[in-house]
Amino acid sequence: MKIISKQDFDAFINALIQDESLDVEGVKAKGDKFVFGPLDSATELRLDYDVTILPPKKYYLPQYETMMHFDISTGKATAPAMDTKKVIVGVHPYDLIAIQQMDKYFFDTNVDDIYLQKRKNSLLIGVMPAKASEKAFYGDLMKDAGTPELHFDLMITDLGVLYAILPGTPEGAELLQRATSRDAQPQEIEAAKNKRQEAIDRATRGLKVGPKAWHSLLSNNYMSSVWKEMSDQCLACGSCTLVCPTCFCYDVNDEVGLDLNTGVRTRTWDGCLLRDFTKVAPGEIFREDIVERYRHRINRKGKYLPDAMGFVACVGCGRCSSACIPDIADPVNLINKLAEATMDTIPDANVGHVPEKSDLGIVASDSLYIPRTATIRRMMKLTKTETFFEIGLDDGQPLGHVPGQFVEVSIYGVGEAPISVSSPPGGNTFQIIVRNVGDLTNKLHSLSEGDKIGIRGPFGTGFDTEDMKGKNILFIGGGLGIVPMRSLIKYVLNNRADYGKVMILYGCKDPSELLFKDEIAQWENTPGVEMHRTVDTCAEGESWDGQVGVITTIMPMVTFDPLNTIAVVVGPPIMYRFVNRDLLNMGMPEENIIVSLERRMKCGVGKCGHCQINGIYVCKEGPVFNYKDIKDEPEAFQ
Amino acid sequence: MSKPKVAFFDFASCEGCQLQVVNLEEAILDVLALVDIVSFREAMKEHSDDYDIAIIEGSIARPIDIDRIKKIREQASILITIGACAHLGGVQRLGNQWDAEANKVEVYERHPGSEITKGDSNPYFAQIKHRAVSEIVKVDAAIPGCPIDSDEFGKVLVALLTGKKLPIPDYPVCVECKKNENICVFETGGFCMGPVARAGCGAPCPTHGGECEACRGYVDHPHTQAHAEVLKKYGLSPNEIMTKRTMYNYRDFEDKGGD
Repeated sequence: MKIISKQDFDAFINALIQDESLDVEGVKAKGDKFVFGPLDSATELRLDYDVTILPPKKYYLPQYETMMHFDISTGKATAPAMDTKKVIVGVHPYDLIAIQQMDKYFFDTNVDDIYLQKRKNSLLIGVMPAKASEKAFYGDLMKDAGTPELHFDLMITDLGVLYAILPGTPEGAELLQRATSRDAQPQEIEAAKNKRQEAIDRATRGLKVGPKAWHSLLSNNYMSSVWKEMSDQCLACGSCTLVCPTCFCYDVNDEVGLDLNTGVRTRTWDGCLLRDFTKVAPGEIFREDIVERYRHRINRKGKYLPDAMGFVACVGCGRCSSACIPDIADPVNLINKLAEATMDTIPDANVGHVPEKSDLGIVASDSLYIPRTATIRRMMKLTKTETFFEIGLDDGQPLGHVPGQFVEVSIYGVGEAPISVSSPPGGNTFQIIVRNVGDLTNKLHSLSEGDKIGIRGPFGTGFDTEDMKGKNILFIGGGLGIVPMRSLIKYVLNNRADYGKVMILYGCKDPSELLFKDEIAQWENTPGVEMHRTVDTCAEGESWDGQVGVITTIMPMVTFDPLNTIAVVVGPPIMYRFVNRDLLNMGMPEENIIVSLERRMKCGVGKCGHCQINGIYVCKEGPVFNYKDIKDEPEAFQ
Repeated sequence: MSKPKVAFFDFASCEGCQLQVVNLEEAILDVLALVDIVSFREAMKEHSDDYDIAIIEGSIARPIDIDRIKKIREQASILITIGACAHLGGVQRLGNQWDAEANKVEVYERHPGSEITKGDSNPYFAQIKHRAVSEIVKVDAAIPGCPIDSDEFGKVLVALLTGKKLPIPDYPVCVECKKNENICVFETGGFCMGPVARAGCGAPCPTHGGECEACRGYVDHPHTQAHAEVLKKYGLSPNEIMTKRTMYNYRDFEDKGGD
């Protein structure tokens, strides 16, 4: 630990500001509040602040961020230029914890290279809080979850006339060499430690249930009347999520210039309290009631992210409660209210509050967001609204997917949409079947063979074809569900000897919506394949030789040993409820039912947050799930 | 493909939204690369009745306006409205609290100078209840705001020309206000319509020390009850709340069965 006089500290900050290779950002006054912003001089810096309006998250996931520049005519996209290296001065420990959580989130599974680049290209100078805001409760959280090991480059503690500065990384130590400082005496080290404890003690507000037990408290109270009572006053304005240092969800938009050719793909903060957040192309809103959105936010903090990432995604900064005009966002108030109903909670020892120190040495393999260029090789209209596309990647590589995975189809200027792959693995092209429902799919339908599109992926988990080996397979597809299923059907038929009896049940609204008529005829005539099809309704005079009735009416037509059969069920949410119920009644074990829930996916890589069903990121953990693993998620089959 | 021909028309308004189009400055050249402007009173003297896209500013205030807007609609393949007057009826819609005939008497027969207009059957003086353009004819795109945002005008034009859905968000102004890192208007002693007002403007009013007046109308599903509770909590009387709500959104009040 080093000791520096306040005068020398100012000189140090001013020298950093003078350094043109650095962009020095720090805490400044804005009215009677504080914000992080560019520093013109050390005198602007307010290390005595309580809390900033927005967290320093804005430096790593900015409010509006260019993900790429594109040129529609050439079909090319380029990454934005790198920013000047940032030094961010005055970050409180709770915000450092939030950044560590954000690191864990954006580095998990698919490394977000845009985030990583910004994160690597900055230094964090922390400061122990000199005062706590009225709504802060990080003291309550730290008391329960333990003293965190923080990730900072330098940490400042105000000792009155002097600052104690602790380097946390070699880069921080190197930066500190620019300052006139001396080594700390033992009593100064002790004083700094006391200041830290004082800061924690100051920010307590009587939280009745510690963060380790939030998971159990929230699980016990999913149906509590408290949610409705609070959310009746909710404006659904999104403020609580927008100011939150641990809300990472974003929306993606393509903006085309007036030249109708060049533009940018941008991401901007989104939030689960906003009605639009769960809107899908045909206009359906998944969490329509405010109460569902209100409940989702707190569950994500206290239950879903602890499950997925091992940390409680609340750092006690109090920003949400300050920003909430009706005053219903405060986690302390809400947790205490829920605790009034049930104190019966069990702390989870595995859940912490601070993830391990971030490893900024990781390398992102590829650009996560810039698509590969591809060419439409073949197009064929299947029905009034569905078109078949055969696509080849321009680098000549096979897609490399497994059945059940999806790709993000990208058209610059329009956007992206997740589309499941319908062809089996192998070959230098792949096939998708697209229903015309939104901007992207509409544009896709207007293209021609030879036109260029962008492809990201394959993404998601597919069907476990190994696990299915030796078993009978019962395919049950409803409507467009046949599309991802076709990839698996063809795979299984290509590897016929590996599997037992193959049964295919396929239902759609009416004969005009039937997909793959020729292939279905082939399957029907393939020895060892039992195929039945049905339509919900058939107009008089329409030619149809299958059954009429919902899909469950043809289920009794097949006989199988439920213990040695895997049911692959893909269709609309309503279908799952009835089909799965009937399968269970037939004696099929839950773990033998495999479903695919392709809904609401947006980024495809587990970052933007749109596809969450309760705590599950469908695009990353699915879209293929074992029924047993998700049957208890209330939002799974809604 | 020849460029679509665009004509601007004004009804009851201050013509400030057309000024926002002129304010595009250099970008207007990019607009001219996309479309031919054949009629634009504020920026050129030529006029033509041969157009594909009609851009309308202003509310429908008189019987003759109804005939005129219907004729424009017949000619135009795309009709875009600009600004709160055309979109919602404007602040002048507050006049709908009174009888149209009474308004005419108030304006043209009671005040100094009205000896000239009194009793005149001039159709320019005839009044009806103020109406938004979409209440009379089909509107293909409404660019909201008082005035409109120049950038948004460009974005809507691009969306229409490329067949994309309109880039007008359905979240409240709070979202953009928070992104701007403003101190909440309620915390500074003001009263704000931001929590129910449609964003897309970038929250310029709260950002520059004002209050949001919801000039862009409400979001699709405003939580007006919760918002009214907040206004009450911060000290507004029911009358003041009504004044706040109706300044730009008397249309909403009328649509919900108010008189």
